[in-house]
Amino acid sequence: MKKKLTALLLVLAMAFTLVACGTGADNGGSNAADNTANNTANNTANNAADDAESEAPELSGTMKVVATSESYVTLFDKFTEETGVTVELLSMSSGEVLSKLRAEGGTPSADLWFGGGIDAFMSAKEDGLLEQVNFDAAADLAAEYKDSENYWFSKGITIVGFLLNNTLMGELNLTAPASWSDLLDESYAGEIIMSNPAVSGTNYAVVNALLQTMGEEEGWNYFDGLNSNIAYYAKRGSDPSNKVISDEYAIGITYIDGTIEALLEDYDVTIVYPEDGIPWVPEGVAVFKNAENVDAAKYFVEWLFSNDKNLQLLAEIDQKTSVKAIKPTMEGIDLSYDTGILMDEDLSLFGSERDAILAQFETLMGDKAVDE
Amino acid sequence: MYLELSHLKKSFGEKTVVEDLTLSLPQGELLCILGSSGCGKTTTLNMIGGFLAPDSGQILVDGEDITAIPPERRPVTTVFQSYGLFPHMTVLQNVVYGLKFQRIRRAEAREKGLRYLEMVGLADYAGAYIHEISGGQQQRVALARALIVEPKLCLLDEPFSNLDAALRVKMRQELKSLQRELGMTMVFVTHDQEEALILADRMAIMEQGRVLQYDAPLHIYHNPVSPFVADFLGLKDLEWRQDGALLKIIRRDDKEEHHAG
Amino acid sequence: MNNRGHNTQERASLRDALFGVPHLSGGRRPGERKGGALTAGSLLDKAILLLLLGAVCLFVLWPMACILLRSLGDGEGGFTLAAYAQVWSRYRENLWNSVFVGVLSALACTVFSTAAAIFIATRRGWVKMACMALLLITMVSPPFVSSLAYIQLYGRRGWITYRLLGISWDPYNCWGVIWMQSISFVPLNTLLLIGILSKLDTGSLQAARDLGARPAAILRDVVLPLMGPGILVSLLLSFVRSLSDYGTPVIIGGRFSTIASEIYLQLVGYSDLEKSSAMNMFLLLPAIAAFFLYRYLMRRSDKLSEGSRSRQGRLELSLSRCGPVGIGIAAVSILFFLMMVLQYGCIFLAGFLKSTKGVYSFTLRNWEELWRLDAATMVRSVVYALIVSLAGTLFAMLFAYYMERRRVPGRSFFDCVATLPYMLPGTCFGIGYILAFNHEPLKLTGTAVIVLANMLFKQLPTATKICSASLTQVPLALERSARDLGGGQLAVLRDVILPSLRPAFLSCFVYNFSSSMTTAGAIIFLINPGKKLAVFKLFDAVYTGDYAVASLIASVIIVIVLAVEGLAYLITWKGGERNVS
Repeated sequence: MKKKLTALLLVLAMAFTLVACGTGADNGGSNAADNTANNTANNTANNAADDAESEAPELSGTMKVVATSESYVTLFDKFTEETGVTVELLSMSSGEVLSKLRAEGGTPSADLWFGGGIDAFMSAKEDGLLEQVNFDAAADLAAEYKDSENYWFSKGITIVGFLLNNTLMGELNLTAPASWSDLLDESYAGEIIMSNPAVSGTNYAVVNALLQTMGEEEGWNYFDGLNSNIAYYAKRGSDPSNKVISDEYAIGITYIDGTIEALLEDYDVTIVYPEDGIPWVPEGVAVFKNAENVDAAKYFVEWLFSNDKNLQLLAEIDQKTSVKAIKPTMEGIDLSYDTGILMDEDLSLFGSERDAILAQFETLMGDKAVDE
Repeated sequence: MYLELSHLKKSFGEKTVVEDLTLSLPQGELLCILGSSGCGKTTTLNMIGGFLAPDSGQILVDGEDITAIPPERRPVTTVFQSYGLFPHMTVLQNVVYGLKFQRIRRAEAREKGLRYLEMVGLADYAGAYIHEISGGQQQRVALARALIVEPKLCLLDEPFSNLDAALRVKMRQELKSLQRELGMTMVFVTHDQEEALILADRMAIMEQGRVLQYDAPLHIYHNPVSPFVADFLGLKDLEWRQDGALLKIIRRDDKEEHHAG
Repeated sequence: MNNRGHNTQERASLRDALFGVPHLSGGRRPGERKGGALTAGSLLDKAILLLLLGAVCLFVLWPMACILLRSLGDGEGGFTLAAYAQVWSRYRENLWNSVFVGVLSALACTVFSTAAAIFIATRRGWVKMACMALLLITMVSPPFVSSLAYIQLYGRRGWITYRLLGISWDPYNCWGVIWMQSISFVPLNTLLLIGILSKLDTGSLQAARDLGARPAAILRDVVLPLMGPGILVSLLLSFVRSLSDYGTPVIIGGRFSTIASEIYLQLVGYSDLEKSSAMNMFLLLPAIAAFFLYRYLMRRSDKLSEGSRSRQGRLELSLSRCGPVGIGIAAVSILFFLMMVLQYGCIFLAGFLKSTKGVYSFTLRNWEELWRLDAATMVRSVVYALIVSLAGTLFAMLFAYYMERRRVPGRSFFDCVATLPYMLPGTCFGIGYILAFNHEPLKLTGTAVIVLANMLFKQLPTATKICSASLTQVPLALERSARDLGGGQLAVLRDVILPSLRPAFLSCFVYNFSSSMTTAGAIIFLINPGKKLAVFKLFDAVYTGDYAVASLIASVIIVIVLAVEGLAYLITWKGGERNVS
């Protein structure tokens, strides 16, 4: 008991020291690590204004990154090692980023946007929230996966497929769907789960890609039919796969990447790549306009795409080979699938049609809600 | 005897609060238990009311042993020092509350309630809430509420201690006449000598859990058993005479008639 | 005997002081008689008041105004009501859903809370201790994890519903939301009601019993009516809390959505600030109505307790002798506590379980995962929570004092404003902060201040209510006598008010600390990437679907919160003892 109390007191004491550091003057703290961080941050602010842009800029300070996951730490650690720029990482969904950006009204609190459905990046560009990043290696990148004016780039491609729960499929006597059109079968009613396309970039890609492939009218008919089989539209992108592995639903329409493939080991699930085409969506990378450390963020984009080793590291983290598609000149990685199985998508329509498509989809979902 | 307490004993832990208490009271009389605070008088009252179980001894009312009967089934009601009025009910609802458990029809209960309110002079306040009436009026509601169920015995625990002096005198008067009128047997606990002397048919003086003297007030006045009793009653300051049924107390120092009961 | 029986005049003065009737002729106070000049003390007193009101204006009113402005904006600097028209025509259904869920959640929650409060108040010994401990644990409700545990237990393939009872039902609808919400609001409400029960006038209970009322009748005629105002307050608080809760409908609502979950969707899916701001304004209408009802009820409750010359003591009531109602209360409470044990047991357990193709096995692998969490994040969370708890509690005490006891111009207005954050979904309050504090000279985004202020003011309404409730127990006579003996306003505050708020300090601290450690919603928009909090690790784990790690983080948070609260308890307890001796 006494020991526990002492330990707790220790934590408290530590806590208060930290408070003193945090709230005190920049130089007043006693914690060495904190001090250096503070000082470097100050230097950056001064330097950023003085230093003119250059090919290999003197970089310092901190780069604040919003990313889809914390797993990119190793990549940014490498960047820190090579440039001296400290990186602070925060995971946020792209919708949250966009809302935050709009609320901030042109003075963003982060420098780099790393990952997330490309539709949000397109919206942000349209609103003038992104910074143009021109660098030599940009020419090597496949044109269909980047912005023509270099406002955003892709760090990979997310593909969409089905995740099936074998136990449930067996119990419910369901045959595995092989294609998008199979999903319309009445036997799947109430057993399919997908994310709301407004929230999930991948599921927005599904809607947009199928509409492009099938054409407006047939496409909407398809989603009308699919709607009656969908249990509900999850409000978070990772819900479909989570619900399938926890035996809640038999079929999930979800992004497929290394993390999903890893599920095969622990759970009785199957991945299906629909044979009538795989919708896909690029994952964006962009620099925020007016950010505090624009230089570092711009350099990071150049650093990432210019050096194949960096891209390889990224591919390892993502457990994806799609960087090969983005930078075809890249060595040391082979695409694990043929891009031919991907659906034909005109990315330029992704951003421009988003509002209209989501509005129509909302009506379609709403009709179902009224039925209940 | 109508009320008989025999060899009541109660202790809390090490501390004996009531020690071998034996008293009896004829029907229709008012017993005052007088003592300073901590003498065990309230404990005694709580044992009669059923809120405390005696360690040993017996309580008989009208020949029935009620020692083991829970308070809700005892033919005994209490007027609490704090009144214990229901703040969420009107005056009338408070008064007729006890009738709910006697299978009396609503209309009849209401009529009886109004009669008792009339008796205590609160007929005009039947619809008022407790926080809307004065302390003296609250006291009367508590009294009416305790009497309406026609208990065999009514207990009063320092009921006037929250009232100012003038009101206290008035209430004494009212209580005494009410008790006479109804022929109600009552046990009244107080630390106020004057109050006890005026109200009591019989008076018990308690100290440290024991009854020092139990008799009619006049008798105690004339024959205090010990200097303590005499001193406690403050007899040296009082002059005491009988005037028909009324007792008058005159302070010796100013010889002014103080008040009457 | 507890001598709380003030005389009627004092009571009247207390009421006057509470409800703003000038209680000294001419409005002058004894302290002001000595010399007309402002003393240093009274200057400081004014300064504190101005500081409090200023802070409320800055950190509540200003962000709210920003939200209002945004909801009226057309994106090009002009004003339009388009967003409102759109919300009204398109989302009326959601508004109705919100009210429907709010009413039913509030009802169910209040039934649970009332039963649990009576159950605990009538228990003795270890059962009481165990139930209180369980309430304290469940006061700490890490975001999302509870809902996930709910799915795990009662989902389509839930451990209880499917595996144990063999029922195949769909929990993803409004009933799931109502169920989950009502369960999760219970702990705070129960603590509130236990507080009221402990202040119950035992004289009334004794009198009822004396007049022949059996336990069941006492419960029906006295206990429940006396709890009445508290029960109504619980109803209102739960109603408003349900209106602003977006997490539950988002996770288990399925196709069912409320205004709050729609606000979340508008922010996260459509990034439509105008529409979500307008929706917030709609949500405020029922919430503000609830606030004024709350104030009215509290006044009535004060009046009721005024009439009773209260003696406080334990609630002597045997539930087993209360007939069907008593059995019902015991059954509902036991059901509630059982579900809480299951839910939190599930959270703790999930951290150590590994499912391999449907077979569960014990593993410590997740612990290793947890150690990868940097300690700095955990420490930072604790530090932030400590700062918010201490500063927030002090703020709430002072604010409650000035609002309850002093004649501050525009008191109703400030009181209402300070309550607003309680009524808004956290995400929206966060957006309001970005709108308000992203430009010079009020540039606070990216700093710790904005995060701390957001937590503090989000929790201020409840904290203030806790302090106010405690403050009404401080007799005005005490305050008067301090003034009478020559103490200034400040001395009253220091020597009378703050010391008598010691019990409130603890509950306030506990509430603030556990809320700060589990804060969700607003913070996601405000936090600086370099200064993450533990809940973010939780978000991250939930987002990637790593339920085991999420559970483990939640468990660690719960343990930390309990440890710190225990410590706070020890400190205040020790302090209290020293003061007495």
